[in-house]
Amino acid sequence: MRRLGGVGIAAFDRQQLSQRSFAELSSELSQAQVDALHAQLDQFRNALVRFASTHRDSIRRDPTFRHAFQQMCAQIGVDPLAGPRKGGWWAEILNLGDWQYELGVQVVDVCVSTRERNGGLIAMDELVRLVSKLRGLAGGIVTEEDVIRSIKTLKPLGAGYEVIDVGGGKRMVRSIPKQLDEDQAVVLAIAHQAGGRVSVELLQSRRGWSLERATTALENMLLRDGICWLDDQDETNGIAYWIPSAMHWDE
Amino acid sequence: MSLSPHTTPSGFRLPSIHAAPPFFTQQPNPATQAVATEQWSRLILSYAKHRNLFTIKVEDAQTTGGDWDEILRNDRINRKLNTSYLAYILEQMERSCRLAFDPPKQSISAVLYWRTPEEWAEVLHEWATSTGQLNTILTFYEIIEPPVPSPLSGVPMSILRRAINLLIKSNRAQLIAVADGEGVRFLNGSTSK
Repeated sequence: MRRLGGVGIAAFDRQQLSQRSFAELSSELSQAQVDALHAQLDQFRNALVRFASTHRDSIRRDPTFRHAFQQMCAQIGVDPLAGPRKGGWWAEILNLGDWQYELGVQVVDVCVSTRERNGGLIAMDELVRLVSKLRGLAGGIVTEEDVIRSIKTLKPLGAGYEVIDVGGGKRMVRSIPKQLDEDQAVVLAIAHQAGGRVSVELLQSRRGWSLERATTALENMLLRDGICWLDDQDETNGIAYWIPSAMHWDE
Repeated sequence: MSLSPHTTPSGFRLPSIHAAPPFFTQQPNPATQAVATEQWSRLILSYAKHRNLFTIKVEDAQTTGGDWDEILRNDRINRKLNTSYLAYILEQMERSCRLAFDPPKQSISAVLYWRTPEEWAEVLHEWATSTGQLNTILTFYEIIEPPVPSPLSGVPMSILRRAINLLIKSNRAQLIAVADGEGVRFLNGSTSK
């Protein structure tokens, strides 16, 4: 009886032949898959570009829309600012790169111009308020999130801008690279609640700090860091310390 | 608490820092104090210009009802500048040529330069030219107490002398001895000299 495939020399040929056909088929298939994927990517990319360019103005102008867009980008793993080219492919289409850098420059402007008053420490809401004022009405609304993103884009410059959480949902931006220790963060939080005023007695009663600990923290902020001012005419305690960045200034 | 600008009864707009309690205390941190000194200097000079005040004394920080009450104290926050801090500020202002102690060799009373002597010299020459008093002899008294009020009304003698000396240097004035003291004759010189 004759078996398919046989046992002769011809069988080897036949096997090689079928293997070759399989290989061809497989590469054809994967080529088709790659093509399909490319087509899909192109489509996705086009859709995104279309989306971005149609909604460019909304993205730049409307903070909630911008937030939603940035969240969407984060979810699909796309950074609107990243890309192979300078400023990024995204940045080019959206002009969001320029927008973000411009905001960064304005953040620096406000931080530097208020530095002599607040010692390089500014409350986030104050910063947002001053930046918005600087941009004027035409600049659209700026949110804390935008400012934080801009500060991140400033990181490569090594200026040491940093966002600090002082608790109670309050955030501050520090524009002078100085170590802010834990006690100072506590003092800042308390100052924020009291309109900028802190005293040794207040720290003792609110936080149960020892006289030495409270005095050291405040004197360091006063003498070493220059982020608070002394008041020797305080009605309650005689001596009080005022942190300009925690005070509310109306220009 | 919110710190906002405040307009005084005399119509002067106080900057918001004037409502900050620590602004009235001398600061131990030199960098902070430099900021405070600058703010105080500007405030004192702009207020002097607003009220046409020429002199300030260390004791103005103590007295009430004086010309300087509106800025040397802030009753809304119950703070006032003490005399030693004012003395310090005046010394710093003297160093940056924004005032001169008058009489010299003491540091409790000063003449404020909200215009520099150079600027006063220009104002003076301008006034003489525009009122047609070139080449006539004027006494110092006629300049600082003119019948028609002028920008020079009430200018302290020390400022007037410095301004006239500057004009003499640029050949735009001559000192003349007159019967009851000193007089000056303004000459038509180009201001660019």
